[in-house]
Parts: sequence; structure tokens; C-alpha cells
Amino acid sequence: MTVNRRTLLAGVTALGGTSLLPGIAHAKGSVVATTYPGTWEDAYRTVIAPMLKKKDDIDLELAPLFAMDQIGKAKAARGAPPFDVFVLDPGPRIVGIEAGLFDKFDGKKLSNFSKLPAGFTDEYGVQVSAQVVGIAYNPKKVPAPKGWGDLLKDPWVSRLGITGFQTTFGTSALIELSKLFGGSLTNVDPALVELKKVLPKIAAVGLPAAMPGLFQQGQCDVMYTNTQTVATLKGKGIDVEFVKPESGAVAFYTTMHIAKGTGELANSYKYLDVVVSKDAQGALTKPPYNFIPVNKDVELPPELPMKSLDEMTKYVQLDWSKINPLRASWIEKFNKEMAK
Amino acid sequence: MSVASDLIDRPREEGRLRLAEWQLALPLSLAFAALFLAPLLLLGATSFFNDEKITQPGFASWTKFFGDPFNYKVILDTLLLGLKTVCATVVIGYPVALVYIDLPARLQKVLIFIIVMPMLLSVVVRTFAWIVVLGREGVVNQLLLWLGVISEPLRLLQTELGLVISLTQIEMPLMLLPLISVMSRLDPNLRDASAALGASRWRTLFTVIVPLSMPGLVAGCLLVFASSTTAFISQTVIGGVRLIYLPLVIWQQSLVVYNWPLAAVASLSLVVSVLSVIAALSYLGRRSSRHLHG
Repeated sequence: MTVNRRTLLAGVTALGGTSLLPGIAHAKGSVVATTYPGTWEDAYRTVIAPMLKKKDDIDLELAPLFAMDQIGKAKAARGAPPFDVFVLDPGPRIVGIEAGLFDKFDGKKLSNFSKLPAGFTDEYGVQVSAQVVGIAYNPKKVPAPKGWGDLLKDPWVSRLGITGFQTTFGTSALIELSKLFGGSLTNVDPALVELKKVLPKIAAVGLPAAMPGLFQQGQCDVMYTNTQTVATLKGKGIDVEFVKPESGAVAFYTTMHIAKGTGELANSYKYLDVVVSKDAQGALTKPPYNFIPVNKDVELPPELPMKSLDEMTKYVQLDWSKINPLRASWIEKFNKEMAK
Repeated sequence: MSVASDLIDRPREEGRLRLAEWQLALPLSLAFAALFLAPLLLLGATSFFNDEKITQPGFASWTKFFGDPFNYKVILDTLLLGLKTVCATVVIGYPVALVYIDLPARLQKVLIFIIVMPMLLSVVVRTFAWIVVLGREGVVNQLLLWLGVISEPLRLLQTELGLVISLTQIEMPLMLLPLISVMSRLDPNLRDASAALGASRWRTLFTVIVPLSMPGLVAGCLLVFASSTTAFISQTVIGGVRLIYLPLVIWQQSLVVYNWPLAAVASLSLVVSVLSVIAALSYLGRRSSRHLHG
């Protein structure tokens, strides 16, 4: 067969035509939601997207971005949000509220509203998962540390991997460490002073996103992190255990918010309704995703350090409205103290 | 009939053709103006605000950034990292280019494929591969431990040495491709002539081949320098955050603390400092080529 201009054009037109077909089939529209890269992305692509498609015939488009990056992109877009729904940790959530990035949220629009504990929705968004920050260690390499203070002692310190104040878990852990040495929620200097004393011994100082990889490669065997990262590493067959520090683990909730100016308001509510539904939360709780569920009908998995969500109120909760204004200067201090 | 002979046959149309050429370059120029120049101006404008909300114009971000001696060290370290990577790629890449010009055509194709192959992989993948190679339990340490050269694993990750090693591999194609394209155009008779006139191999290399390959070498150095000083992923993943370079500062200021004016100052510092070294390098390149031809 010879390919001339006519057959080539016909072929290209046919190819182009097929790409329009899914558009016709998906008449109910779509929603663009952010998700954290890694476990969140996998879980939402595998579990939530098919559920939303089946239940409401809505296509879920996921944009994998860390919380801070989402705020940055939304601010840069100035009123034309690049996505319909945010997923955020407490610190960035407050930045988003202050910048007026969220649509006013009405929890009662969710059919699963009654399945959420009281106070899990507010005028800004809905809590979709809980996270617990503590210490992860490799039981084959080092004994179990008892508290934050152990991180600075042998044998842990020479196997320790740390990150700065870029993430919620990093900031939480450094604040807790600071409290042991006379610091407070708003004073992290003692932690930096103590870390600097042992700095030459510390195995790795990395970006948050690089830490699981460094742990996996044996570059460090102890790090502060959240329960979900530990569960995910475990799922990959890596020797890792979670320790709830003596002074208490830090707990916080991950929230979702509808972007102000979204063109997909109704679909965004439908998406959030699926996210907090019993089926979705139940599936996300199982390995390899290991989320901490917020739906009252879903039982907490046995390996978690708490038996119920109520127990989490006894965990350390940090006031991010006080932390946020200080974070920029903390990041600068961390750079200077840790720089070679 | 070729375009060149067209020009000779119809000299009167030369002016019209030149206009057409200028018009042909217009779309790209407009795209550059819209996508590069305009954001750069915006970046410049953003840097002249004092506050994170970008409401009060002023010089505070500039004075804050340049009032802190720590930032001078960051700029210097960034430029030094680029220079070290350039040196390493030249030392390793130049002999490879020399080997290339002496190879038969078929083997040249194989070598080009080997050089280009890493570029087919994303930088992220190449960077993470280096974690596996340089890590505490990585290939290098395992080998040295097995050979009994060391008793404790060496610290290679999160050191400048490890970073320069990995950047050298990651940036190598950028050095080799321009170098090879220039060197393969060298007239082989020149080397024979040099030898016939009694020059040793080394003398031929330094007085004939190196000066003639200078345009390729300079182009390679420019590309490697610009690429390694701005290699955020490799710098942060291999180097960790104890080695602080300008891209990390820009990322922190723009996407972690949202201080865009300060991020703009850091970005402009990176652009200006990298461009000055590039200007110096290309000046040296031009001077050596003038020296050669005139």
C-alpha cells in the first residue's frame, strides 16, 4: 500500500476524531483535584477516581502537588484557579484562608455529613484524613528510640536523617524536640542549637521528598515522619517501625477545600462526598495506602498507635496560626545553622 | 537550483530576501519576547517590593538579600559548583572526543549513541540512580568494603564530591555533543602536517587541536556551567540541604514561604551571576579564536 497525502490526511483525521470520542461519552463533566505525590496519588487514582466515575459519572483529574506548591500555584493564578479542589495540611490551609483562596464550604451539602465526627467540616473545608507524626526507625540497625531526645544521642544520632521546616511533619518534630530543651511552640532555637552540636554525626539532611528514598537506601535508619510514610515503606518490604515519642506524637488533620472561582462547584462537592464515604475511606485505610480514616463507620486499623479518633485529641496539637508567621525565619535559620 | 545560486543570479532581490528572513524570525522573536522577556521584566518588577503581599514598592528585598553575608557564600558556592563540574567534564570529556575523531565511522555511531543514551532518561531518574550508586549501602561502598579498601562505608551522598561526580555524568552529553561536532570537522591533514614538521603528539594536541576545537569546548563549557548551576533536583537530592545553592533558596522563598520579592532577587542574582561567568567564558573563547586566526 502506498501512503499518499490523501490517505495520510484521512488517517490523521480518523485519529483526531477518536480522541474526541471520550469527550462525548463523558458528558457529566470532570473535576480537577490536587493530591500529594506518592501514596496519595496512587490511592486517589486507583480508589477514588473509579468510584467517582461509577457513582456520579465524573472524571477525576489529579494534579500531584505538595501543599505549599498548591498554594503557590493558586496564588500565581490570581483568581483563575488551576484546580477545583485543594488537599492541604494545617499550615498551608491557614495561608490559603488568609489569601482567600477557598470557596465558602457547606458541610451539609455532603450526604455523608452525619458520618463525620462533629467539627470535621467548617466554612473552609472538610477533614479527610488524620496524620500522626512520630519517629521511624529500622529495627535491624538500631534499637527503638523512646523519645525525640534520643534522636540526638548515640546510637541513633549517627544514623539520623533530618529535614527542615518545609513540611508539617518536619516543623512539628522540630518544635517537639525544641520543647525538650526549653523551647516552645514559637521558639525552635534550642532544637537548632542541639542539632548543631551533633551535626557532624548526623547521617543525612535532606529535602522532605527525598527522605523515604534515603531511608530505603540505608543512608539513614532513623527519621521523624508520619504513620503513613512508615506504612508505605513497610509495604515495600523495608524494615521500618513507628514509635510514638514519650512526650506524645503530634496529630493533625489533612483537609480538602474547594477553590474560589471554580467552574465545577457541584462536581467538587460530589467528589468530596465520595472521598469521605464509607467505601472510599475503608479502601484507603487498607494497605498499601494506610490512610487514617475520618468516617465514623470505618474502623481504625490495628497497627495505628491509637484505637479511635477521639484518642487523637490527647495527642499534641499545634497551633499553626502561631507557627506560620515564624516559619520563613525558621527556614532561613535552619539553612544557616545546617549549611556546610 | 539552490538558494545560494538564486542569490547570485538575482542580486537585485537581495534586499527583499533579507526582509523576508527578518520576517521569518519574527514569530520566534515574538514568542521569546512574550514568554521570556516579559516574565523577566515581571521578575524584575516583583523584586522591587518590600513585602510578601507585593503592595509596598521599595528596595528592602534587595538590601535584605545583599545585606546578609550568608547569601554571598551561597552565590559563590553555586558558581564554584558550576566551575568544578565544567572542569570535571572537560578533563573526562575531552579525551573521549579525541578518541571519537580517530574511530571508524561505524564505531563513531556507537559512541554517539552511548553519549546520547543518558539524555533519553529523565534527569530525575538519573539523579535517583546516583543515590543507589553513592549511598551508604550503594554500589561504590559495597565494592570498596568487599575489596577491603575501607572498613566503614564512605560518606559520598550529601557531599560536594558526590554531587560533582553525579553532575559530571549527568551533564556530560552537553559537553561532548558540541565538542564532537566541532572536532569531527577538523581537517585530519593538519595533524599530519604538524607531525611532518616535527611536532610531538603533545605539541600537536596543544598547539593545533585544542585551539581549533576551542569553539566546541567553549560551547560545551557554557552549556554544562549553565545547566549544573541551576540543577535544582540533582543539587538537593544528591547534595542534600546542607549544601545550599541559589536554586534551593529560590524554591524555599517562592514555594515554601511565599516571599516572592526575595525569591525574585535570588532569581535575578542567579541569572546575573551565571550570565557574567558565561560572558567571561565566551569572551575567552572569542579571544583565543581571534588569536588563532589573526
